[in-house]
Amino acid sequence: YDSYLHTSSNRETFASPLEPSKEPSTDFSSVDLSFLPDELNQDNTEQPLTEGKQGVEGNHEIQGDPSRIQSLNEKDSGGIYTDNFSLSNSGLNPLSDGNSTLPSPENSSPGFFPLTSMTPLMPVTPVSEVFYRVYYSMNIVSTVNLACKLDLKKIALQAKNAEYNPKRFAAVIMRIREPRTTALIFSSGKMVCTGAKSEELSRLAARKFARVVQKLGFPARFLDFKIQNMVGSCDMRFPIRLESLALTHQQFSSYEPELFPGLIYRMVKPRIVLLIFVSGKVVLTGAKERSEIYEAFENIYPILKGFKKA
Amino acid sequence: MNNTTPSPMSAIATSSSGRATGKSMSFALELQSMMFSLGDARRPLHETAVLVEDIVHTQLINLLQQAAEVSQLRGARVISAEDLLFLMRKDKKKLKRLLKYMFFRDYKSKIVKGIEEDDLLEDKFSSSSNVNKRQKIAQDFLHSIDQTGELLAMFEDDEIDDIKQERMERAERQTRMMDAAQYAEFCESRQLSFSKKASKFRDWLDCSSMEIKPNVIAMEILAYLAYETVAQLVDLALLVRQDMAPKAGDPFSHAISATFIQYHTSTESTAACGIEAQSDAIQPSHIREAIRRYGHKIGPVSPFTSAYRGNGMTFLAC
Repeated sequence: YDSYLHTSSNRETFASPLEPSKEPSTDFSSVDLSFLPDELNQDNTEQPLTEGKQGVEGNHEIQGDPSRIQSLNEKDSGGIYTDNFSLSNSGLNPLSDGNSTLPSPENSSPGFFPLTSMTPLMPVTPVSEVFYRVYYSMNIVSTVNLACKLDLKKIALQAKNAEYNPKRFAAVIMRIREPRTTALIFSSGKMVCTGAKSEELSRLAARKFARVVQKLGFPARFLDFKIQNMVGSCDMRFPIRLESLALTHQQFSSYEPELFPGLIYRMVKPRIVLLIFVSGKVVLTGAKERSEIYEAFENIYPILKGFKKA
Repeated sequence: MNNTTPSPMSAIATSSSGRATGKSMSFALELQSMMFSLGDARRPLHETAVLVEDIVHTQLINLLQQAAEVSQLRGARVISAEDLLFLMRKDKKKLKRLLKYMFFRDYKSKIVKGIEEDDLLEDKFSSSSNVNKRQKIAQDFLHSIDQTGELLAMFEDDEIDDIKQERMERAERQTRMMDAAQYAEFCESRQLSFSKKASKFRDWLDCSSMEIKPNVIAMEILAYLAYETVAQLVDLALLVRQDMAPKAGDPFSHAISATFIQYHTSTESTAACGIEAQSDAIQPSHIREAIRRYGHKIGPVSPFTSAYRGNGMTFLAC
């Protein structure tokens, strides 16, 4: 267990959650998990992401207690993890101080905490957190009114990263690197901003574009900023039987694999369109607010679990 | 199967001969995959695929020619969606299915555009009237030819498509038993279509000898109709095969037609009354029997129905 302990201490020192956490998973493979029933292993790959902070703290507990690890291996049922975890939870306090600074692991890999398990003693993690941690990316489209007539030619000539092809399209396409976004600026003063990863970033990007226009000499303002569309994607991490889903939820689903490999699910409440793929990846689009995406995910998650391909 | 009626189009002679003198391309492999996804066995027979390809090709060529005639009638320069819709006006169910397909295509491009950032920009470039383009074409056209209001009523009609339902149920039954790897393979087969191999499809159809050629949307529809034909063939062949299986207590087992038994004994070595076919795959005999039944002139009025039958060709797709 020396290598195992070593990587645990490594984890304490790193600052960013994005450090590749592949190492711990390979080290955990050295720990003998063969006596675990298969489903428990799978659940472990899903659930540990939900434990988030708790998991982090729990792991540090395990690190501080090598004797407990040995007992993990010796006993013969999967249930042992329950006891261990609850024990470590109750003994949380001493090592928890250093952990509160750790930012929530957005991109933690599934192998990060395979020893945690889902137990009735622990609070059930709300489904939206599972979504958040499983795989999370967003694309936001927003519009804003700069409230002044613009000379597109002047903008295109003087601004960097701007393209303007009046024969093709009547707007200037401008891009900025931070946040990485693209804007379509029309002569009427209206602007569309796409590519941002969150609402705040979209607003920030739109402001940056507006400032660029301002610097070029136009009296640009920032009126009616509105998020038009939000796209989220996530990964269920299990294959889904699309034929059965299309059959049982006929009134909501359209599945034409010759045209498009995914099933198009039109959820009524909230009004979101989901693209569900065989691999388990789900794309949610049509939302005006983040809560709608979460709500849609919470609605679809139990349904998709029912159609998991064994 | 061959259309022997002389047609104003001289192309027919060239097309049949083109077909006979070994086409360089063949859809047999793709068809085998498609048939699997439509309900056939895990590995459909090559002979069956070749036969199906033949049938689909013939039917499409004939359809194309009829569409060209219609197109000429209205003085157009290209065969467009309207002509094909016109040919399908007789069968409401199939027409409705085609319309649903077209709307779905529009809808899907609308959604995917919203997701892909690059596509969003491309969309802005092209005129925004692209949205629901196919739907508009269909609606406008049907509006113009509809005299009794039946066709337009179809848009509001929400009846379930029985055949589509049956196909979905069959697919569901098929996939229930599969494990993850087989299911992945099945899904890939399902994604195969003629529209995916558009250029090969175009060459296969060989419209170069025709005076009036189909436009882009017409090609889409033709690809869809080809797929529908294959699907119909598989549906019917499965039905035939089911009939062939001797059922205990079947009161009509003595009334099976002679041609039926002839097919049964000539293509299979097992006794006609006995064991079911060795493989699960659809045999060419099933397909031939299915075609025979579909085109069979049953009923008192049949000699006087449908211009299509006069040509000796009943289309499976419309």
